[in-house]
Amino acid sequence: MAAYKLIGKDFLPPDVIGKVTGRAKFAEDFRAEGMVFAKLLRSPMPHGLVRRVDAAQALAMKGVLGILTAADLPKVTAPAEPILTSEPLYVGEPILAIAAVDETTAADALDRVKVELEPLPFVLDPLESLRPGGANARTEGNVAAPNLKLQTLKWSARDFTAVREGELPRGKPAEEWHYGDIEAGFRQADLVIEESFITQALAHHAMEPRSALAYWQGGKLFLHGSTQSLAFSIPPLTRILGIEPANLHYVSENTGGGFGSKAAAYTQMAIPAFFAKKLGRPVMLRVSREEEHDFGRSRPGFQGWVKLGFRKDGRLLAADLYIVQSGGPYGAVNDFRNAGRHVSLVYQPLAMRWRGMPVLTNTPPRSAQRSPGETQTSIAMDPVIDKAARKLGLDRVAIRHINAPRSDGTIGPKREPLTSSFLPEALELGAAQFDWAAKQALSGKRTGSKVTGLGVGIGYHAAGNSGFDGLVLIRPDGKLYIHAGAGNLGTYSYAATARAAAEALGMPWERCEIVYGGTGRHVPWTCIQAGSNTTFTITRTNHVAAMDARRKLQEIAAREVGGEPAAFEVGGGRVFLKAEPAKGLAFAEAAQRAIALGGKYSGQELPKDLNPMTARSAAALAGQGLMGVAKDTLPRNGVIPGFCAGYALVEVDVETGQVEIKEYLGVADCGTVIHPKNLGNQILGGAVQGFGMALLEKHVYDPKYGIPATRGLATSKPPTYLDVPVNMRWAAVGKPDPQNPVGAKGAGEPPEGAAAAAVLCAISDALGGAHFGRSPLTCDIVLNAVEGRPQPFKPLDTNI
Amino acid sequence: MDASKGRSRSSHGLSRRAFIQGVIAAGAAVSSVNYLFRGNALGQGAGRGVAERLLTLTVNGQQRRVDVLDQETLLMTLRYKLGLTGTKIGCDRGECGNCTVLIDDVPVYACSTLTRIVHDAPITTIEGLAAPGGRLHPVQQAFVEELGPQCGFCTPGQIISAVGLLKVNRKPTRAEIAEALAGNVCRCGAYDHYLNAVQRATELI
Amino acid sequence: MAARDMMPAFELLQPATVEDALALLKRRDKDGWVLAGGMDSLDWFKDRIKRPKAVVELGRIGALRGIRARGADLEIGAMTTLTEVERDATLRERYGLLAQAARRVATPQIRNRGTLGGNVCQDARCWYYRAGLPCYRAGGNTCYADTPTAINREHCLFEADRCVAVSPSDTAPALIALDARFVVRHAGGEKEVPAEEFFIGPKTDITRMTILQPGDLLTAIRLPAAWANAKSYFEKAADRNAWDFPLVNVAAAMKIEGGTIRQARIAVGGVAPRPLRLKAVEESLLGEQPGKEAAEVAAKAAVWGARPLNHNQYKIPLLANLVKRAVRSMA
Repeated sequence: MAAYKLIGKDFLPPDVIGKVTGRAKFAEDFRAEGMVFAKLLRSPMPHGLVRRVDAAQALAMKGVLGILTAADLPKVTAPAEPILTSEPLYVGEPILAIAAVDETTAADALDRVKVELEPLPFVLDPLESLRPGGANARTEGNVAAPNLKLQTLKWSARDFTAVREGELPRGKPAEEWHYGDIEAGFRQADLVIEESFITQALAHHAMEPRSALAYWQGGKLFLHGSTQSLAFSIPPLTRILGIEPANLHYVSENTGGGFGSKAAAYTQMAIPAFFAKKLGRPVMLRVSREEEHDFGRSRPGFQGWVKLGFRKDGRLLAADLYIVQSGGPYGAVNDFRNAGRHVSLVYQPLAMRWRGMPVLTNTPPRSAQRSPGETQTSIAMDPVIDKAARKLGLDRVAIRHINAPRSDGTIGPKREPLTSSFLPEALELGAAQFDWAAKQALSGKRTGSKVTGLGVGIGYHAAGNSGFDGLVLIRPDGKLYIHAGAGNLGTYSYAATARAAAEALGMPWERCEIVYGGTGRHVPWTCIQAGSNTTFTITRTNHVAAMDARRKLQEIAAREVGGEPAAFEVGGGRVFLKAEPAKGLAFAEAAQRAIALGGKYSGQELPKDLNPMTARSAAALAGQGLMGVAKDTLPRNGVIPGFCAGYALVEVDVETGQVEIKEYLGVADCGTVIHPKNLGNQILGGAVQGFGMALLEKHVYDPKYGIPATRGLATSKPPTYLDVPVNMRWAAVGKPDPQNPVGAKGAGEPPEGAAAAAVLCAISDALGGAHFGRSPLTCDIVLNAVEGRPQPFKPLDTNI
Repeated sequence: MDASKGRSRSSHGLSRRAFIQGVIAAGAAVSSVNYLFRGNALGQGAGRGVAERLLTLTVNGQQRRVDVLDQETLLMTLRYKLGLTGTKIGCDRGECGNCTVLIDDVPVYACSTLTRIVHDAPITTIEGLAAPGGRLHPVQQAFVEELGPQCGFCTPGQIISAVGLLKVNRKPTRAEIAEALAGNVCRCGAYDHYLNAVQRATELI
Repeated sequence: MAARDMMPAFELLQPATVEDALALLKRRDKDGWVLAGGMDSLDWFKDRIKRPKAVVELGRIGALRGIRARGADLEIGAMTTLTEVERDATLRERYGLLAQAARRVATPQIRNRGTLGGNVCQDARCWYYRAGLPCYRAGGNTCYADTPTAINREHCLFEADRCVAVSPSDTAPALIALDARFVVRHAGGEKEVPAEEFFIGPKTDITRMTILQPGDLLTAIRLPAAWANAKSYFEKAADRNAWDFPLVNVAAAMKIEGGTIRQARIAVGGVAPRPLRLKAVEESLLGEQPGKEAAEVAAKAAVWGARPLNHNQYKIPLLANLVKRAVRSMA
């Protein structure tokens, strides 16, 4: 392994001090001169049509400044999400906004707005929408997904009656793919099992509600928002706002969590922007927790079915997977597709078919959430794999290991290659550190009312991308300024990836500065800060930008000192002759030379292949130092898989159904570990979210009224300190990915599915292999099962 | 049973009036008074004159004169009157802990506390922990060293709860720390690091 | 729906004596609202569902706070915080059951502000009711939680009467098990009522959870010497181990002599609109030895007459098992 000076070492990201002192500013912490407040009137019904709005009384109130309705805003084409709506598609969807000098006045004014709404049919359960004559979530249709047009699709009565009670009906899918001959696979198999399953939708509930502050100055919009991405938010945001990127000054220094819900832009950010324009005053939209539940995004639920054919050694010969997705009203999620790719990768079936049906529902809008689709698939698949292991008499780690991809594994119907896979190693390391083999003796052991269970689960997400830009600047102060287009959502990857630039230049970290937090900081075009993309992608861009700077340093040194550029080395803030290290230039001097030389050296001339955003940022910085700027054109062939193997030991109280997670270990395959302490935080933090998904969190809706029960945190029930083990452990394989300059891959997404699946498998293990096919497993469900009582719902019922 | 007597209902059993009641709630009998954003009033007073609304709060050791409405929470006073935005609004319902402050050294939810009720007790916010020269409080220092925060939004509340704990229990066990911080939700799930940090703080104090 | 986070304006009144508080409440009558720790009240105000014009805050009344001896009994002021209840040395020693129950309430921050009086007076947590729907309890003419399709996992097994909400208090069952007396003051004087009579179900008055009428104040709770140092058991089953209401909780106090149960008081929460004293269980235990057999009988008796709703059938075994555990623990 390469000997790195910075990569793999702990360091202090620059935003931490602000976070512990309260100085770190989030969107709602900013104030603007003359700022007023907007408040939203939101739909009380799951689907309706606004017939009439009478705001006269509200607008007559002292302190009330104006109203914003859908009529003031750009129209969107279905199924796109509008900023404000006249046909609300879920409870809590914003219909109009009122601005007033203070929030109480705005709230009082909203009480006086009269809205006449005509209720329309609604649907919460995708299967209900697929029934002949079932309601559509939207007047225009009931099925949509990215790159799949909004349409109406129904299954036949025969489709519904062809299956057993509790089995997923499988009518014609909206999409499907396959490879190999699954029927032959099932014929050859020694064991064929099939299961239906459901994973319930749940809210992201990022700790910081998505408040935003907007004002206009000199034709430019100044917007303080809460997004995961910085650079990547700009194109969608300017599209929503209808302005040129150059006219948007976007500030997002700190984002209080997103988990996919704030990946880039979302329409509600535009409310204060348009309102500020209409009123000519700064407008703050302070989003409440209830609003964050309602329009702050959610993970789609799955209703699914899987059929697996195994050889007696556990090898998976054939897999057949069907996913029905509850897509919310806008259907903008790929989870159902990711499910198929997950199974094709994690278990490498020799033949596979995937079918998908993305159905729209009158529930909160969906977005990606930490391993979108893959976490649901871990939850659904791992317990089925366990069931197969039991029937085949195989160890549960062994059956995963035999199927796990090596680096020559493939993914998806086109059998795409991987950049690397060390999932087998992660399983091995986990089994060793968890003492899996010895612990088997504890499986099913009862002490008093408590029964021990063990579980292992696998989380996956495609963790990286390529083709974005890097931008660094060595200024005459001798410091390296690494411009970060990534957002700052709490993963510190914006900072850890910056170290790839410093590493490439041999620059001591204390002489580096990360420039981040807003478009005003002149940042390059970089990937979405979501889906574990940043680490792989931005170590590459920072590396290529640093290598560009390095070449320029060598050229300048050659000019100044004499000799070939290649004869020069960089390090310690100097560029010097390899043969005679005393001869050379300090970076400070080189920066001054670069300014004097101009052209490409100081960013006056830029590579032609840069994204316009990078070019704009580089142009703004031109002439201020030696600029390294480049597009990542490094070779890349294949999907970049991030993996996590989770190991859990639980105790199930068979008298109460309560589950206590006693031990947890997460083991990542994320390539080279670039920031160990933070990797630990990601693996264990993801695990905590996974525990929530396994045991506690879900959307609950009244089926008759379509109203949500779980809008607050006390009702959504994210895990607290007392719901997770007081000690948790993590590890990483640490083998470098060959297609990343520092060997790194993404790490943040897979831990959630690994942990959730491990816990669910452990519960089954404690209960002698009881199969639930459902998440979350709240204590009532477990207790009913233990007591042999029927569950009060049908197997595929959702939102309960 | 027809629970909808006298109401128009849609085919889905939806009472339009029931829904519209949610939209058009009975107007509260409140009167509007002047408001300027910089002028100290968040909303309407309920009969008190400005002079009467003025309170002296002791925040982070400083006396602060502030115009406080009867229904105003300490969270709003801190954030919108005193500019102390380190105390975060995560839920405004006492369900997350992001707004935790110390009142008389005891951790409470500022969102669920009316300012007028606690105005005569000393209040400590995250901004009041570091020494005047900027030297971090040992708990803050420990949170830095153990890389406690992820997104950082819950961090001020976590630190305040930890400071409150260490005032009454200098050497808490890991389990005792978890119990004392159980009112501070971290959606990033950084609990393990936060526990490490508080344990480390017991060594630094 | 309109905004649900800014409280409508009200007048905050902060009397210094119980007498002043009673006078203010009498004067403001239906416009008035009694505020203790505010943990429940402020949510109602922020939701803009309850809109009192005058809020009478009791924090300035020293007499309402503190834990003190009253003869051989122990008196707890209604404004004593749950943290004080949880930590008080005398209380822990003599009435550990109540301290344990207090410790299981919500979170440290809530226990630091929330009071014992407030905890027993808190309103129903039925999610339909809290959503502001016009149900019976809210003065309307339907129950949203008891329709054929309602989601009522948290709702009641017993004593449904147009309302299927449950008592959410953790301390209430403990107080009933300890045979506490609640001191209620009103303009006309003072009365002392047994804990179990303080709580009322919808059959008595669907809009109230307790006997308190407008103008009444709960001033103190008295724990009788007779139940000091009794053997006791408390357990709360909830989804989360912090910030959660009980799905079922159980509090039991017993006096055991020579291995035989001489007296027993068992109360449970989360299963009826009021905390329920399980008299049939208590009777079944008298003269028995606290062990497996008695526990089985008690568990069966505990769920007699349970009428589950669609989603809460699990509460039957949960209740039975918690009662079983309570009895077993006495051995």
